[in-house]
Amino acid sequence: MSHKKHKRQQTDHVEPDLPITPMLDMSFQLMAFFLLTFRPSPTEGQMALAIPNKDGGGVSIADPLEDEKAKEVIVTVRAGADGRIAKIEVGDISGTKNLGADLRAYQKALRDASDAALKTPSKKIGKLKLQIDKALLHEYVVQLIDIGVREKFTDISPEPLSEKKGEGG
Amino acid sequence: MSHGNLEKCEPNLTPMLDMVLQLVMFFMLCANFVMDQVNESIKLPEAIAARGLDIKDERLLFLNVDLNGKVLLSKLDAEDSLSLDNKIQVASYMKRRMQRDVAASPNPKAPVLSTIIIRGDHRARFEKINDVVEGIRSAGYKQVRIRAQIGDSR
Repeated sequence: MSHKKHKRQQTDHVEPDLPITPMLDMSFQLMAFFLLTFRPSPTEGQMALAIPNKDGGGVSIADPLEDEKAKEVIVTVRAGADGRIAKIEVGDISGTKNLGADLRAYQKALRDASDAALKTPSKKIGKLKLQIDKALLHEYVVQLIDIGVREKFTDISPEPLSEKKGEGG
Repeated sequence: MSHGNLEKCEPNLTPMLDMVLQLVMFFMLCANFVMDQVNESIKLPEAIAARGLDIKDERLLFLNVDLNGKVLLSKLDAEDSLSLDNKIQVASYMKRRMQRDVAASPNPKAPVLSTIIIRGDHRARFEKINDVVEGIRSAGYKQVRIRAQIGDSR
């Protein structure tokens, strides 16, 4: 009795071969698509505003324990027919200054006001009230607020200029 | 000196594929990161002092105001219409928003209010922006933020 020796056929060990080249080609296609459609958006930020109360009073109540009440700075801005700034008046308890349409002078006036407030015992910078002509473009309103924030005013309240005050100007 | 067997040299494409897929994933994520609440037709004014959003702001409401004073809402925030055409519509929308904020707050006596961000077109008149602010105020909101492009310091 002979046993046929069934030699088990041994197959050679085959490594699976994955074609990567086409996969890479497709990846490059996808990457090219997203590169061409990628649009980075400009960086945006925000500035906080305080909404005045309906009766025109301040949002915050002055602390009666403070020795010196924080000075409020009132800025009146009038616009020309094209919506640009025509006149800026800065006023506080010491008086009103007419600055023309000069934003640098406006910035200097705010800086002087904030520096004076910081020298007081309370070291508190008061409220900045912007009375703005309704025709003024939003671009200039933002510039006015921006300068106020840069000069350390934290309580900024824009409101429309009343018609009666406009006539007196 | 004998020449060895010539072996076929192939660059290893696997790491290159890995890098390419990483780049693809990056651009896919950036492309999908579209702020639906931000209307790109609104051209913002510039402000140097503008700052990025606080992480603690949980609920944000973007009001995009075009140059005609029309308020454009995102699909996420819109109700019946994607726009609010006058200050009366703005006021009533904001009042409903306030009711939702109060209802959704864990403590209705101390509600967590939405942060209102106005994205006004730089060519809009102050009157139109003020109408929107009036509508926000009539609903009881106290804090509003004005959005601007962060400008270069001069």
